[in-house]
Formats: sequence, C-alpha cells, structure tokens
Amino acid sequence: MSIAQLEAAEVSLEASQGGLWSEAFRRLRRNPSAIIGFVLVALFILVAIFAPLLAPDDPRAQDLQSIFNGCCPGPSSHHLLGVDDLGRDELSRILYGARLSLLIGIVAVSVGLSIGIVLGSIAGFFGGWVDTILMRFVDIMLAIPGFLMAIGIVALLGPGLFQVMIAIGVVNIPIFTRLLRGSVLAQRENDFVLAARAVGVKRRKILIAHVLPNSISVVIVAGTLALATAIIDAAGLGFLGLGPQDPATPEWGNMLTSTVRYLQTAPFLAIFPGVAIVISVLGFNLIGDGLREALDPKLRGRA
Amino acid sequence: MLRFVVRRLLLLIPILLGLSILVFVWIRALPGSPAQALLGERATPETIKQINHQYGLDTPVYQQYWKYLEQTVQLKLGTSITTQQTVLTEIRQRFPATAELAVAAALFSVSIGIPLGFFAAKRHMRAFDQISLAISLFGISIPIFFLALILKYIFAVRLGWLPTVGQISVLINIPHPTNFYLLDALLAGNLGAFWDVVKHLILPAVALGSIPLAIITRITRAAVLDVQNEDYVRTARAKGLPPHTVDARHVMRNALLPVSTIVGLQVGLLLSGAILTETVFSYPGIGSWLQQAIQDRNYPVIQGGILFIAIIVVFVNLLVDISYALINPRIRLGNK
Repeated sequence: MSIAQLEAAEVSLEASQGGLWSEAFRRLRRNPSAIIGFVLVALFILVAIFAPLLAPDDPRAQDLQSIFNGCCPGPSSHHLLGVDDLGRDELSRILYGARLSLLIGIVAVSVGLSIGIVLGSIAGFFGGWVDTILMRFVDIMLAIPGFLMAIGIVALLGPGLFQVMIAIGVVNIPIFTRLLRGSVLAQRENDFVLAARAVGVKRRKILIAHVLPNSISVVIVAGTLALATAIIDAAGLGFLGLGPQDPATPEWGNMLTSTVRYLQTAPFLAIFPGVAIVISVLGFNLIGDGLREALDPKLRGRA
Repeated sequence: MLRFVVRRLLLLIPILLGLSILVFVWIRALPGSPAQALLGERATPETIKQINHQYGLDTPVYQQYWKYLEQTVQLKLGTSITTQQTVLTEIRQRFPATAELAVAAALFSVSIGIPLGFFAAKRHMRAFDQISLAISLFGISIPIFFLALILKYIFAVRLGWLPTVGQISVLINIPHPTNFYLLDALLAGNLGAFWDVVKHLILPAVALGSIPLAIITRITRAAVLDVQNEDYVRTARAKGLPPHTVDARHVMRNALLPVSTIVGLQVGLLLSGAILTETVFSYPGIGSWLQQAIQDRNYPVIQGGILFIAIIVVFVNLLVDISYALINPRIRLGNK
C-alpha cells in the first residue's frame, strides 16, 4: 500500500467514525441497559411533568371514608394503589412525588456542578498556591461522609425542601471540584493548549473555549450519577424528618417515614414509594454507566 | 516508606484543623444564641451579657476558637441537652454497637462481594457476569432504609425468623463490661446470648452492607478483568501452572490491591448509613442516637457525633493509605 493509499484509508476511517459524540451516541443505542435507563428516566420525567393530568386525585385530599375501618385498605378500584394512613390516594402522591424528587435532584446537582466547575477549573488551570488551598479545603469537606454533612447543613438551615436541595448541592461541590481539576490538569499540557498559548490566546479564553469543552463528557457522566445519589440522599433526609415539613407534601422519603408504623398491616405503603425511588435512581445509574462506557476513549472504535 | 508515613501523618494536621474550624463555624452559625437558649423567656439585655461573659462569648472570635480547640482536644464535647450526660459518655456507650454493626456489614459485603466479582470476571459477558452486574446495580440504586424496611417486613414481620428491633432480647441479662455485646456475651460465657446478638445483627448488617457489596463487587470484577490480561498472568499460564494457582497467586494478589483501598473507603458510607439503618431497626448505636438528636435539635450531640465520625473516617483513611503502601511492593520498595 502506498502512502497516499494509506492516508486515504486513514481519512475515510476517521470520517466514518465521526466525532466523539456521534460515536458515543451510536454505542449508546447498541447498549440495551442504557436504553432501559433512558426509558425509565423518560418515564420519570414525563410523570413529573404531567402529574396533574395523570393523577386521579388531589395528592393532599383526604378520603376519610376509606380509612373508616382502620389503616389502611390496599389497592381497590377507587384507589389503584390504596390510600395512606390519612386516607390520601397513594398513586396520586407517588405521581406528584416524582416532581419533587426530580426538582431536588436537578437543583442539588446544578448547585454542586456550577460551583464545582468554577473551583475545579480555577484550581486545575492556575495551579500553585490557589490549587493547594482549594484542594486542602476539598479534602476537609470529603473527610465528612456526604450524607452526614447533608444532615449537618440541614440541621443548621432548619428542615425543609429548599434546605435539602442546598445541603445535597453543597455535598456535591467537593466531588465536582476534584473531578474538574483532574480533567483540566490532564489537558493543560496538551498540544492544543500549547498551540493556543503560542498564538497569544488569553488564559481565560483558553480555559473556556478549549479546556472546559473537553471536560464536558466527564461532567455529564458524573452529573448523571450524582442525580441518582441526590434522589437517594434526599429520600434519606426526608425519611429522617428533615425534608418538607408540611406532612401533606408528597415527597417519597417523607411518605416512607410514616409507613414504619404500619409495616405489619399495610406494607404496600412502604413498597410503592420505595419502588418509585428505585426505578428513578436505577434509570439514572443505567444512563450514567452507559454514557461512561460510550464516552470512554479507551473503548473508542471498538463496538 | 518511613518518609511516606511521616508525610501522610503531617498531612493529617491541616485536615484535622480544617475540620475543627468547619465544626466551629457550624456551631457559631446555629440558629439562636446560646444565651437565648439557656435563658429562654428570662432573657434581658443584662442577663444575656452576663451569660455571654460567663461562656466567653464576648471575646474575639479567634480566642473563642482557641478555647473550642482546647476543649475538643481534651475530649470535652459538651453535654447532651436531653439526658444531661456528657457527649463523650454517650459516644462510649453507643459506639460499640455501631462498630459491631459496621464490622458485620463490612464482613458481609467483603465475603460476598469479592467472590461475586471474581467469578463474574471469570465468566465475563456470560449469564453469571450479567447477574452480578444486575445485583450491584440494584445495590447502589436501593435506598438502604427502604431495603431495611423490606428485609424487616419479610424476615422479621412475615417469616418471624429474626427479631424486628433492638440489639439483644430484653429477657437476656448479661453484664456489659465492654459494651461490645458480642464480646460481652463471650466474656459471660453465654452462648445463647451471643447467638441472640448475632440474630439481631443480621438484618441491619445486610441492609447496611448492600452499597459496599455493590461497590466491592464492581471493583473486584474490574480489577480481575484488568489483571487477567497482564503479561505475567499469561507467562504463569504458559509455564503450566495449574489454573487455581495462577488465580490465587498472580491474579487475585494483584487484583486485591485496588479492592483493599475501596474497602477502607467504605467506612464513611457505613457510619453515615448507620443513621438510617439503626433508625429502621431501633438499633441502639450512634446512628439512632444522632437521629434522635436531630429530632430534638440536640446540637451538642449532633456536633459531637459528626466530629467523632469524621475523625474516625480520617484515621481509617490514613490507615488504609499506609497499609496500601505496606502491601504494595511498588510503593514499599520504590519510595525509599
């Protein structure tokens, strides 16, 4: 094969492979577990958006007639998933609960992500004493187990939905900071950064236009997995009574707290919200894993 | 090696100092001033001033921090608002139970997770591998308190095989010299009591161990897959060593290095997860103690508990780092 032929082959190979994203997308489509993940998450998001249309009842309305004979009658034609100890329709509460879980997840991850990106890129790009101080601080924050730190923050701010989002967001800050710093550090020595510097591009512009876009795949994978953790942690905080204080709020963790007393007579009250949490978390975990494999440069060009 | 240990120990100082500053800021930021909390309705500007003076709250912040640091180093962590016992006394009473639970959960996750990950890698891409992946995926997707509730419902409420709550049956009376109930039962020579404590441990330990189990399985699988393709494994096979010798002496010995680090890192997860698990099973460790403190807004207990757990996590991570260096010849011999 002549050199020209070789080059032509190379060019066609590169063209057919496409960019990182189109190839990642192709690989995602062939990954059955990632597809299941997308279906679960799509379901979760659709339920969250259309909860008022889907729910047969007001999640706060009490059907006292239904608990006349004690807690708690199971599924019936009136209430597909039964009613809780205060006679509220369980199905409606679970559907509305999806809204809160999604909201908590998105807000918490956005808080952690936005601050983490800023701190991480500063530490990674500028290095030196800025890096040392920021990373020591991150080490200290990481020494406290995440869930415990979230409890401490909520104890400080007082219980509530908003406080839970902030607490979980803050817990995510050191994680994203570390991630971004690592990614930025790895790229700082790359040739395209050197080239940009050589032609006189300003440091801030290099960071924003050249380095950060290359970190985005790492961020997306970690963000998806962090969403899963955020939903679990929020439910845990709700379970401890630190979530929304209005007991009528249909938050999945809250809903599980009151069920402990009725485990013997009405186990379905624990099972339904629990399964809702598992399904949504599973969805995000499956997508996160799929994305990680699809975007892993070591696996590129294989499947 | 010595230099590595010394350096790692020195790194401990800024972390512990930073931790103390974080907790100090946390205390200062708590809603309601201490004087207000102590005086309640009797608060007048004079009495508030007097209390502030008595507790040194009118001194500069750095002096207050120094005082806090002095007290913390002397293990004076304050007094519980509800029981009037010192926080340290309560930690002494409560921590052994959580330590037993955490060790039981760690044993459960390691003894199942490592074989599961190993055989999954051996049967890469086959049914067993897929099943192990599914198990570990569920492990990280189920909230532990939900798993705890399900386990409690099936094995305690429905089947009645295991007790629903507590650490030991109320009818069993043994002396508690150490507060480690398993140890106490053995010291008393009471095997019935020992078995009773074990039965109380099983469900909480399985629930608490579920996440570490998932993580350890995944890491072991990945590490074995990685090591299996190394040249030295091929060489060992090529020179005719029996397969299980290759697995034991070449594959596992190297694959277990990353696994051992991960196992150590689960301690934080186990101790914070204990709050949820112990709450479901009314297990009398520091987890349920902290949960109660959260309900009562018992800030001295919350503060002491969080600081205590964080310090344990820091020290365990230190031990993990050092033992990793000890078992890894590349660090042990390389970094003289």
